[in-house]
Amino acid sequence: MIVSKKKPIEDISQFLNRYNSFFLIGCSECASLCGTGNEEAILNLKEWLEKEGKKVTGWFIAKTGCQILGTKKEVSKYKDLIHESECILVLSCGAGTQSIVELFEDKPVIPTNDTLFIGNMRRFKEFEEKCKACGECFLAITGVCVVTLCPKSMLNGPCGGYKNGKCEVNPQRKCVWITAFSILQKRGVVDSFYESLLGPKDWSKASSPRNYKAMEKGS
Amino acid sequence: MGNEFVITVELTPPKGPDVTVMLNKLEGLKDLVDAVNFTDSPSAKMRLSSTAACKLALERKIVPVLQMTCRDRNRIALQSDLLGAHALGIRNVLVMTGDHPIWGDHKEAKPVYDLDSSHLLKIIKNLNKGKDMNENSLNGKTDFFVGAVVNPNVEPLMPQLKRFEQKFYCGAEFFQTQMIFELERLKRFLDYAHKYDGIKIIVGLIIIKTKKMLNYIAEKIPGVAVPQGLIEKVSKLKDEDVEKFGIDFALEISRQIIDRKMAHGIHIMAISKVEDVKNFLNSL
Repeated sequence: MIVSKKKPIEDISQFLNRYNSFFLIGCSECASLCGTGNEEAILNLKEWLEKEGKKVTGWFIAKTGCQILGTKKEVSKYKDLIHESECILVLSCGAGTQSIVELFEDKPVIPTNDTLFIGNMRRFKEFEEKCKACGECFLAITGVCVVTLCPKSMLNGPCGGYKNGKCEVNPQRKCVWITAFSILQKRGVVDSFYESLLGPKDWSKASSPRNYKAMEKGS
Repeated sequence: MGNEFVITVELTPPKGPDVTVMLNKLEGLKDLVDAVNFTDSPSAKMRLSSTAACKLALERKIVPVLQMTCRDRNRIALQSDLLGAHALGIRNVLVMTGDHPIWGDHKEAKPVYDLDSSHLLKIIKNLNKGKDMNENSLNGKTDFFVGAVVNPNVEPLMPQLKRFEQKFYCGAEFFQTQMIFELERLKRFLDYAHKYDGIKIIVGLIIIKTKKMLNYIAEKIPGVAVPQGLIEKVSKLKDEDVEKFGIDFALEISRQIIDRKMAHGIHIMAISKVEDVKNFLNSL
């Protein structure tokens, strides 16, 4: 999922001072799992705005905020309420926010979250980054994403900085290459892994902005 | 590098444009050692470029070793800087992936790490054949003598040994170890390394000067494991006795390395005064 985090209220409020009426849009996908775009998050924000003397004209939770056409259809039901609002607040990731910007270019659209990373939920509301979306997946070889989880993105084994199996950069964390190496060992492929050199990575595959059309021939 | 036992030292280029102190140290080291390594902003603390320091050494007839990390340059800059270093007459290169910016004085910097040290070794081998890493022809061949680093202190050791082996196959002609405090740890690495024909190993050492220095190294230098027993031993010494202990400790390790023909050289790291190196070498 795309992990997002609620911005500190003081960061949001600096954008809100000049407006009096707001329409709020959440997202039922990742942001709901993160607790940053679900009903509770929306109602909390609504309550805070109203305490600040602002008007909340309405709200809804988009099914999948990053799906532009679907969101456009959902939003159309709220056209009048949005029209009478001075500002739209979006409680989703950066992608969902930009769906709304695209639909209402003439209205201020303000995200209430910071988008952090692609990750997994370990326990309730505890998230770990797992994928950098680098466009060239090596997980079949290394089992864990060394591009993402190694601070140096080492592709061929650990650097010389680990101490007692812990990472040089964050000693609270196990060196991801110690994990990857033990996966290689358990699979019995250490020697075959070291017969060649993994990488260097083709970073042109991660060169932003990227587009992808799954319907195109050959994809 | 032939079969003679080599002595090298590490110098860290200055934090700033004034090279006077470094040049004085170079003058003092000139007839003492075989080569001087210049670090590449170690611990990610920004300093004068290693290449420039190497050139200043060459002008003084001192053999430099250019340390080059993958932390701050992408593959274009690495190759370009290597060609530049070659044009300046630099031939010895020691490559490493490099300490992460989190350790340094520019923690906000974007860590590059486009390549790791194994890739960089392979690239240098290619430059020596007159090709860049994408097999484009160069207008000549470089003539680099290239080395890599290995850390025999780490636990678990096997992943480190496999990387050592990989660096050997990628073209490393010599290896410099992280600073060694325990010969047993060195030995378990050497038992593995000696299977590789023609490999040259230079053992990293420090001359402990003060309790503060040892504690700093134990806590602040990435990848260095100072044995707890040694820290306790030094902490019990009187301050004025630490320096003598430090020299004796380095001498003991060096003599064992020489007598038991364990390696092809020693590399003295983190030196503060040339005088220390002189005293140490005179006693060796």
